Amino acid sequence: MKKEYQTFVRQFKDLKEGTQKLFIKDLTPGPRKYDTKYVRAEISFNPEKIKDGDILRIRSESGALLPQPWGIKILEELSESVPGKPWEDVYKAMKKS
Amino acid sequence: MPFKDHRDFIETLKKTGDVIEVTREVDWDLEAGAIGRRMYEMGGPSIWFKKIKDYPEGFTLYNGSLGTWRRVAVSLGLPPETPVREIYRTYEARIEKPIEPIIVEKKKAPCKENILLGDQVDLYRFPTPMIHEGDGGRYIGTWDLVVTKDPETGWTNWGMYRFMVHNKRWLAGWPQPTSQLAHQMKKYYLPRNEPMPVALVIGTDPIAHMVATAPFRLEEDEAKFAGALRKEPIELVKCETCDLLVPAHSEIVIEGEILTDQIVPDGPFGEYPGYRSGTMAEGVGFRVKAITYRNNPILTIIALGVPIDDSSIAAALTAGMAMKRGLNHRGVPVIDVYVPPEGVTHLIYVSVKKGGTEVAKEVLDFFTARRVMVSKVIVLDEDIDVFDSGQVLHAFATKCHPGRGIVVEHYEGRANSLTPCYSPKERERLKGASVAFDATWPPEWLPEIIPVKASFKTIYSKEIQEKVIQNWKSYGFK
Repeated sequence: MKKEYQTFVRQFKDLKEGTQKLFIKDLTPGPRKYDTKYVRAEISFNPEKIKDGDILRIRSESGALLPQPWGIKILEELSESVPGKPWEDVYKAMKKS
Repeated sequence: MPFKDHRDFIETLKKTGDVIEVTREVDWDLEAGAIGRRMYEMGGPSIWFKKIKDYPEGFTLYNGSLGTWRRVAVSLGLPPETPVREIYRTYEARIEKPIEPIIVEKKKAPCKENILLGDQVDLYRFPTPMIHEGDGGRYIGTWDLVVTKDPETGWTNWGMYRFMVHNKRWLAGWPQPTSQLAHQMKKYYLPRNEPMPVALVIGTDPIAHMVATAPFRLEEDEAKFAGALRKEPIELVKCETCDLLVPAHSEIVIEGEILTDQIVPDGPFGEYPGYRSGTMAEGVGFRVKAITYRNNPILTIIALGVPIDDSSIAAALTAGMAMKRGLNHRGVPVIDVYVPPEGVTHLIYVSVKKGGTEVAKEVLDFFTARRVMVSKVIVLDEDIDVFDSGQVLHAFATKCHPGRGIVVEHYEGRANSLTPCYSPKERERLKGASVAFDATWPPEWLPEIIPVKASFKTIYSKEIQEKVIQNWKSYGFK
């Protein structure tokens, strides 16, 4: 039985195939559903291309669901968080303008 | 007598018919949120979900504490049918008399009945709902109260900020960069690269939650205003892992720290403006160090969305009063401010003694001076009852000059990124605009040229009005 995960991207075109680092939500039913993991994983538009892979559902920044799920194979679980300062994304965007 | 806790409030709501207990099992994963949302849209009562799938008996959810004006009235100790104007007046009068909180011993604090520390911490012990389909996760902080402190001045801030379960020991959140929590963090903790102690409080006296939505000025402790509205001091108790003080009668208190050098993804989430509008961000990381909770804890939530719900109602009152204070302080000849819940604090009605473009500009300057949560303001003459949206709409339609009656201000770095009409680029830079619609008569117009409103009270003499009123039944009317 394949496991199901979910990830979020701003726009669907932002997601690239290959080995990526990404935050995923575990969709296994039960009280821990939606638990977040930061992983290094191989992902593909075509789930058939990933041997022993699982299902990756993809949602956009407004929560819209991509109709066709991707495939994912987790290679490594990473840290719980990533380095960064609160609101840095906002300040970077303002500097660019 | 004020309510000592949320349970006491629920007991009163049972008597007034403003709560329904659901005893059949409900799924925390979307079902509870969908029920809550539908009930808001039907204008119905609050809901206490008593049996939650995957969770033991006694761990319950409660949706809609202050989701109607009736419940707001009850929370203030007023009769449920109290008119909105009177609720505003009561709030306005009480808030002028702050009452300092009192600190109680741990043994007198029900929120300490259960204490989880360090490795015992597991956020999945609580039936945090997945509120909307497509949200970024399970939001445990919706109807909450987030406590933070400026260690230099001692100012303790209460705010209502969303927080999502990231994993068993972490929460993710996105207090806006213009929020008071962000102000404290940027002033003290970020320059020192020190984690900021934080406590997320769930399910306390409804007035304390309501006050957490209020935009009081910087350096003002919300706890004393909660006391003012309760007419009795609120009881606080010290946290287990830091010196923050939290309401002693809370259902659940999550203690921890917001890190200055780590981030976690937050959102998207169906937010208070009534949309899930690209509110996905590099969120703040809240590492949990302790959880304390009452026996049989009640997790208070809001199935946020289109108005009217707790958020739009509470903000209508607290923001409206704060705006009136602020405008008065600025010297604007303000009569009344109303924040119609349907306008989700994006749209404000302000009536003034003397109008005109200059006054409309002053009003707009007030709303755009620091963080901007408001995008549209209608400025009205004093004869308009701001609590009557019908009158406001009529004045706007007829008195606002489509050319010279519209004042616009543009800004960057302080806009409300939750404004649905902003583009993704505008949102990420906090770029926006606000507009004042001047629906007042120009002050330079001579009285004899001002159009006369053709209403019963304004176009007939007192004598004719009295005659008609006195004879009303004799005309054959009831």
